[in-house]
Amino acid sequence: MKSLVIIFRHAPFGTTSTREGLDFAMLSASFEQQVSLVFTNEAVLHLLVGQTPEQAGSKDYVSAFKALSLYDIDTVLVCAVSMTTLGLQPDDLSIPATVVTPEVITQTLQAADEVLVF
Amino acid sequence: MSKFIIQVNGSVYGSTASFRALSFCQSALANGHQIINVFFYQDGVTNSNALTCPASDEIDMHSNWRSLSSQHSIPLTNCVSAALRRGILSAPDAVENGKPQWNSSETFTMGGLGELVVGIEQADRLISF
Repeated sequence: MKSLVIIFRHAPFGTTSTREGLDFAMLSASFEQQVSLVFTNEAVLHLLVGQTPEQAGSKDYVSAFKALSLYDIDTVLVCAVSMTTLGLQPDDLSIPATVVTPEVITQTLQAADEVLVF
Repeated sequence: MSKFIIQVNGSVYGSTASFRALSFCQSALANGHQIINVFFYQDGVTNSNALTCPASDEIDMHSNWRSLSSQHSIPLTNCVSAALRRGILSAPDAVENGKPQWNSSETFTMGGLGELVVGIEQADRLISF
């Protein structure tokens, strides 16, 4: 088993990057890897409630974030600076996640075996 | 000596990620390291398209990957779902999905994300481009 940190950096729907990163996260968790997720930059917008990806021509991969605990993905970190930049409050988040400083994210990356960026 | 697995997310043309990944592989091999697999994901699957036909004075990433694979016996693996979404099909994929043609060359094999995860476990280090 390895510890994997998967970082999401892109806004919802503009690219398919997060969708394919989420596929990798869930697959690797089902292969018994220790998986942590980090949302930073515009990717924090994925965690807002009330999104309708179908209207943007996208499969609704966003609702799959609600299933992370079923895959034993319990560490979900959200960058506090990105939240502030985009005017978001912790109450705005639609799934259980921990808002942390960039320093905590740095420590998480240093402790990981591998880091993948999507 | 280290064992690497390489992940290529950049397309065959339009991004330099694929070229940088290939350069890394060549340098690593020249320095005695081992590449256990090159896994193509996201737009990286377009590297397997045998119909890419750049002008003669341009770099042909598709054939460069094939050369690397045959010279050093390195498996090249496409994520099959990422590939199918982007119109990259192997001959069996074409038959299975009722398509009249395929474009992925035989040097690249179709696999699942599980192969990437297993490769990450076996390797000392994953390098993504």
